[in-house]
Amino acid sequence: MTDSPGALAGITLIEIAERPAGENTGKLLSDFGATVIKVERPGGAPTRRMGPFKNGESALFAFLNTNKKSVVLDLTQPADRATLDKLLAKANGLIDDHDEAWGARHGLTAAEVAQAHPHLVHCAITPFGQGAPAEWQNARSINVINAGGWAYHSPSEMPHEKPPLKGAGRFLPDYESAIDAAMATLASLHRQRKTGKGQFIDLSEVEVQLNRIDCVLDRMVAGDADPSDERTAYDMGGPGTSFAAKDGHIYLFMTTKGHWNGLCKLMGDPAWAKEFREDWLEFDCTKENVVRFREKFSEWIIGQEKLAISEAAQKGGVAMVPVNTAADLPQHEQFIHRGFFQQAEHPVFGTVSYPTVSYKMSASPVRVVTPAPALGAHDSEVEGL
Amino acid sequence: MTHPATRGPGGPLSGVRVLEITKVWAGPYAGKMLAHLGAEVIKVESMSNLDEMRAYGGVDINAAPYFTSINQEILSVQVNMKTPEGLDLVKQMVAQSDIVIDNIRPGAMERSTLGYEDLRKIKPDIIQCSIKMWGNEGPLGYQTGYAPSFASLSGLTALVGHEGETPKGMNIRYGDSSSGACAALACIAALHHRENTGEGQYIDLAAVESMTSLLGDSLFSYSVTGEVPQPDGNFHPEMCPHGAYPCQLTDWISLAVGTEDEWRALCTVLGEDDLASDPRFATLAQRLDNRHALDAAIADLTGHQDAAELAEQLRHAGVPAFKSMSSIDLCSDDYLWGREAYRMVSDHKNGSRPIIGPSWRISPEGPKVERGAPLLGEHNDYVYREILGLSQERLDDLIARKVVD
Repeated sequence: MTDSPGALAGITLIEIAERPAGENTGKLLSDFGATVIKVERPGGAPTRRMGPFKNGESALFAFLNTNKKSVVLDLTQPADRATLDKLLAKANGLIDDHDEAWGARHGLTAAEVAQAHPHLVHCAITPFGQGAPAEWQNARSINVINAGGWAYHSPSEMPHEKPPLKGAGRFLPDYESAIDAAMATLASLHRQRKTGKGQFIDLSEVEVQLNRIDCVLDRMVAGDADPSDERTAYDMGGPGTSFAAKDGHIYLFMTTKGHWNGLCKLMGDPAWAKEFREDWLEFDCTKENVVRFREKFSEWIIGQEKLAISEAAQKGGVAMVPVNTAADLPQHEQFIHRGFFQQAEHPVFGTVSYPTVSYKMSASPVRVVTPAPALGAHDSEVEGL
Repeated sequence: MTHPATRGPGGPLSGVRVLEITKVWAGPYAGKMLAHLGAEVIKVESMSNLDEMRAYGGVDINAAPYFTSINQEILSVQVNMKTPEGLDLVKQMVAQSDIVIDNIRPGAMERSTLGYEDLRKIKPDIIQCSIKMWGNEGPLGYQTGYAPSFASLSGLTALVGHEGETPKGMNIRYGDSSSGACAALACIAALHHRENTGEGQYIDLAAVESMTSLLGDSLFSYSVTGEVPQPDGNFHPEMCPHGAYPCQLTDWISLAVGTEDEWRALCTVLGEDDLASDPRFATLAQRLDNRHALDAAIADLTGHQDAAELAEQLRHAGVPAFKSMSSIDLCSDDYLWGREAYRMVSDHKNGSRPIIGPSWRISPEGPKVERGAPLLGEHNDYVYREILGLSQERLDDLIARKVVD
């Protein structure tokens, strides 16, 4: 671990976003070491009022706003709006996630920002992108993941009578959008270093959803595969799914003869397994065989402990893994080894454990250096601008 | 250092050269992200070690649908890395690159003397990013898996399921592309670090953790409150009703009611002012307490309706609503085609092909996404003759001896 100030040392971003999509974009960048100044309305960002709470403080806000500064500005008031312009004049970028009408009301449309601050990288994250009908622009996370197709097709193998699902937690599409928004912003900031010029980034949350399924959906768009109203249209077939074990769940994925032989050995070569062709996964993977396999396998796996059997399976070339719960992760040897959870002090919560990022960077590791700011904690820094 | 002569698609990463030693989805997706932002991305391939995606869904390795649906704006160079000469050529390419991305098996890069310590001897400020299921080392670093394995290990699968049922997770396809996107993000951050310090670095990415990072607030909240998050269907503690409701045929509509105004507007559009005055549903707290009864009541009212029309009416009334889109809905959606969410690129077989474009529009001087996926070795001449400066004679000899294959 080095003492690097982070990959984005020296870059300043102004965050006027007020939803998890934009706030997490700012967090990805502040955790890389950028100075992110969060502009909050009087009374504080809406996410400060979203739970869960402990001692009156929002855990959601505390997560989404690590390493940021907070200044309070009422952007409907000319003096505060002018202060924002002064901040923008000195900053490298602006992160927004309001609808276009809000931008128009606050003099923060793409054209207005480009006119006033041509050097600035301006990223605007909206559910359907710029130019969508006004009444579409208040879509919430569950609407985005349904509009983008992942909900309809999740989980795999769902029958028509079961509702499509929103994904994990409240904000899965927001996290996905934040990755693309941060990526495009960083690319444009790289150009800014070379040219001194800004750009406008119009980021569509629904299009992030589409892009993440490119090699399945595009084959349908291009006519190589048939689109349909089937809930299983994104599925792969085969026996892969999660199964109940003695102490939780495991996930089994199998596609080859090698996987099957490995599994048979793991199970002690039971008689029922011999009723399947050795190459059934490749050449005889019928629905009936999948059902029959799952029935027999379920009876066996329910007696196994998820960690021990998964480890034995992996060593035998079988892609079986435990379905880890939130409680499993902080004690998991690989997560511990990689330092994925970072212990830190929070002024209200005490010692907490921050989930971090998947990229371990040898020269500029991502760190939570400061907890999410108190409201207006950095107001004095903008006085007299 | 940047490369003014690069053949990237223009745009913000213009001048950045990326070498991609990748297969299947997560690695190529990272390359695609960088190419769609303007980097010149060169995919190292060979007949003897083909990306499986060139083989899925057909026999023509130059027109395989899985491959063409991901690899737009990518250049292809052939080289057999199993030969010492081939490996030396790859190292010459590294010397001319800014970023090297791989997602091959744990240890394979090191065994080919393409580990980070090897590469930095060739180019001291190289940025190398390795994508593995569990990262490049650690007690479980030897394990490999597929997208649903990443999701299961990550904690994500355990949080996605209908209430009270075995959590089945997201669709089986979820995992690779998100990991690739995280890799691309880290690579661009590393470019900034290099600009600041002159220093390259090694990025060790765990696909499992990419999935875990999408659960950020849920896991952090567990650390703060001690309450273990559960698979919760479409439950939202601050909005009710919140979920997917059945409509005509096999359709569903998603609703997210976050305010009292939205609640009243929903009842009005559904023609059920009685619902609004039902004491069980008078406040958010009461609606949450009685949400199963409320969900059933709403399902009764939506069941006979057209999902798209109802969603339109609700949005006009101020209620966040959208049809749950099937694959045929998505493929035929006028708004998405009109906004160029799908766009045409060149295609060697058919002249042109629609692809799923990037989620961003960047202006002015944004990246152009116009070229379809490359033929195998389509850019051999460019890479060997122009970048590495080899003579035609030498290249012909390498081809004849199947070093370039």
